[in-house]
Amino acid sequence: MNMEEKELEVYDVIRSIRDPEKPNTLEELDVVTESCVEVRPLPGDEYLIIIKFSPTVPHCSLATLIGLCLQVKLQRCLPFKHKLEIYVSEGTHSTEEDINKQINDKERVAAAMENPDLREIVEQCVMEPDD
Amino acid sequence: MKDALVLVERFTAHPDSRCWHVAWNPTATLMASCGGDRAIRIWGKEGDSWKCLSVLQDGHQRTVRRVAWSPCGTYLASASFDATTCIWKKKNDDFECLTTLEGHENEVKCVTWAPSGNLLATCSRDKSVWVWEVDEEDEYECVTVINSHTQDVKLVVWHPTLELLASASYDNNICVYKEEDDDWECKATLEGHTSTVWSLTFDPSGQRMASCSDDRTVKIWKCQNIEGPDMTWKCVCTLSGFHERSVYDIAWCRLTGALVTACGDDGVRVFKEDSTADPEQPVFSLAAHVSKAHSQDVNCVAWNPKEAGVLATCSDNGEIAIWKYQDDHE
Amino acid sequence: MASHFSGVLKLTDLDDFITPSQECVKPVKLEKKQGESVAKIQIEDDGSYFQINQDGGKQKLEKAKITLNDCLACSGCITSAESVLIAQQSQEEIFKVLRNNKLASATDQVVVVVSVSPQSRASLAARFGMSSSETGRRLTSFLKGLGVHHVFDTGFSRTFSLLESQQEFLERFQRKEQDKSALPMLTSACPGWICYAEKTHGEFILPYISTTRSPQQMMGSLVKDYFAEAQGLSPRQIFHVAVMPCYDKKLEASRPDFYLEEAESREVDLVITSGEVLSMLEQEKVILNEVKAAPLDELFSNVNGGELLSHAGGGSGGYLHHVFTHTAKQLFGEEVKELTYKTLKNKDFQEVTLEKDGVVVLRFASTYGFRNIQNLVQKLKRGKSPYHFVEVMACPSGCLNGGGQLKPLPDQTSKDLLQQVERLYKAETASLPEDDTRVSDLYHSWLHNVGAERARQLLRTQYHGVEKISNGLIIKW
Repeated sequence: MNMEEKELEVYDVIRSIRDPEKPNTLEELDVVTESCVEVRPLPGDEYLIIIKFSPTVPHCSLATLIGLCLQVKLQRCLPFKHKLEIYVSEGTHSTEEDINKQINDKERVAAAMENPDLREIVEQCVMEPDD
Repeated sequence: MKDALVLVERFTAHPDSRCWHVAWNPTATLMASCGGDRAIRIWGKEGDSWKCLSVLQDGHQRTVRRVAWSPCGTYLASASFDATTCIWKKKNDDFECLTTLEGHENEVKCVTWAPSGNLLATCSRDKSVWVWEVDEEDEYECVTVINSHTQDVKLVVWHPTLELLASASYDNNICVYKEEDDDWECKATLEGHTSTVWSLTFDPSGQRMASCSDDRTVKIWKCQNIEGPDMTWKCVCTLSGFHERSVYDIAWCRLTGALVTACGDDGVRVFKEDSTADPEQPVFSLAAHVSKAHSQDVNCVAWNPKEAGVLATCSDNGEIAIWKYQDDHE
Repeated sequence: MASHFSGVLKLTDLDDFITPSQECVKPVKLEKKQGESVAKIQIEDDGSYFQINQDGGKQKLEKAKITLNDCLACSGCITSAESVLIAQQSQEEIFKVLRNNKLASATDQVVVVVSVSPQSRASLAARFGMSSSETGRRLTSFLKGLGVHHVFDTGFSRTFSLLESQQEFLERFQRKEQDKSALPMLTSACPGWICYAEKTHGEFILPYISTTRSPQQMMGSLVKDYFAEAQGLSPRQIFHVAVMPCYDKKLEASRPDFYLEEAESREVDLVITSGEVLSMLEQEKVILNEVKAAPLDELFSNVNGGELLSHAGGGSGGYLHHVFTHTAKQLFGEEVKELTYKTLKNKDFQEVTLEKDGVVVLRFASTYGFRNIQNLVQKLKRGKSPYHFVEVMACPSGCLNGGGQLKPLPDQTSKDLLQQVERLYKAETASLPEDDTRVSDLYHSWLHNVGAERARQLLRTQYHGVEKISNGLIIKW
């Protein structure tokens, strides 16, 4: 299957995620763009999805929260089998490596989603606008 | 590869949830599993297949990350993201919660019993490792709190015979602890992995450890002077290029000496050591590989402690699978 | 940066890799203007921030400043508090004040008071091979040479702490049947323990904690109230420095409870550690045992015949010892000469009991270090604590082993050094708090005159549970 189609499918899921602090979507804030999604085929009808997003401010402490929203929404909404890697785009954040490590640690992500205060925010951000 | 890993049985253990861990009891008559559904399940064999004997549901408020049987098989400890550790006692076919150990600031990631059964170790995202002592009245007291890691501690494991504890962390390091002068101290820090160390296992002799990491490698560490005051650990072998993603678990079989890994690429791999190689430069080869052992990440591998070659794995898809490793050379 | 705080405080650090400049979670109040939903922020080469408005105009953004008080009131990290602390509470501050004094006109000069703890004296004594009293005299000479006006001894203010503890204990003991949280009384002199209790166990544990001020803060009252009044000075005209064995004491001095609102002054303006005093000596190229000795400032010093005195019962202040012997005598008519400490799980968990007719009537314990504090708290939570009184200290081995003490020299083990410091500390003759006539005079003249309410403020304090962060935007996971 064409990877571009898959990439668009992924982008369609994440574009409408809302910024945790602002009323805008990640697409409106240029946190995610079409070109930030890359999909590669894996053996056995599976796909590797790589997302590189750009936090609005280099010191944005909400970058991990945006990463969490991306993780959660894709896990829930993507109809095809995949492995997911999420990174902040190079040079956009002062603690890039730390953020990348944290948002790709599935144990940390799972635990975060059990924190009711975090969960509430993530749920609001990933809710479909027409829900 | 002449050897093979044959599926014996597969069943859903934690429906619609992750299965994080599975553990055999010391006599291999029972298994305990835990997961994102906040439950612990006890499994027993009926005829040829494994059946759920009981579900322990009221112990924890969040994910149960890890379960561990006491060496006598009477107690079960469970570590949870709710920051507590529960101790369960087996009464006939049922389990009752004896006590809840509190103190960690946040998620408890692992719990494990010392071979003596008198000590218990826990670790947490709060960066600390705790050792607890059990008295005759089933009362638990904290013996030490060690802050040697700079990040989330993922796992603690006891040496098979000595009172020696090792821990693996998100800070990429492994620490080894011993009691000295009334308190526990970190005696060695093993640096080498370039990302989170997810798991650790001692070899049957206790002279070596194998570690697995988010950096997709497995490392073998060899100890000198393990009982002396200044032990040193050296990485003698790195297995790279085998795993496509994070390696979440590793187990060294006490019966056969084979190493097995659980990987985020859904695969299970068995490695065998070349017995003719120089002990300072051991050689491990891939003896068996099931690339899609589960449909999602494999979180845990556990060798059956009684039946050579039998192992259990569990996965993000909530399943447990039992495998038989057939070694052609034996 | 390696943390200097006691292990207890390090554990309450809920965060990862934080520095206050970029990852502090404390919400800072921002002046928000209407209608600017989308603005971009640009960073200049010098690290300053500019907001780019939609009309293209630039506006420099203010740096958010976090004070130590903000840090203490927040359940987030402690590492931030540490960096803030280093800026606000370092030995450079005292040099700055002394320099300003030299340049200022007579009316603008401040009176500089330094109160030295007996534990710090013992630590320096071990390094320079002198007795603790001799160290006190040389230190007095060194500090006065720099322009310090008075050098006091917190052993003197500790007499107040011991007397107040004893008084408070008797009150609590008497109401133990009606008030479930009257006992055990947990000591309050250790700020690491207080900070941990407030941040982690809040309302559950705080009622048990003694309201008696620590020696450092007792000295704060003495200096900024009694002494200021006597000298005709306002509290702001006195710069009060405490020399302590512990970094956590800096946090204590910064508590809002010890800030004089009206006078806009802290009771203790600056805390420096024993180690920082060593740095001051090095900076001034002074070797302490080569300094000429100066007479001790006897106004607020626990002295007799020119020699500094101590209190019985170990290096953490002797709270257990004093309250035990006093209560045994007062309530049970028993004259206890020698306390028998029974070591429990480890050397930092000890028990002392008083038996009468075969029945234990008093059960006291000392729990030092985080592991023992943990077991104490868990026992209390389960209703299984058998104790009437517990001396709680965050550091293993107590205050003589505080994080601010001098580090061992390369040829020294920390164990040997600690033993040496303990020896020097104990070599000072123990005095009985109730025998100190100057203290009892002050109770009559000073505290009696200010009235009961003010006296309570001067001698006691209070604690505040810290609420856990519940704002998802700033939770660290």
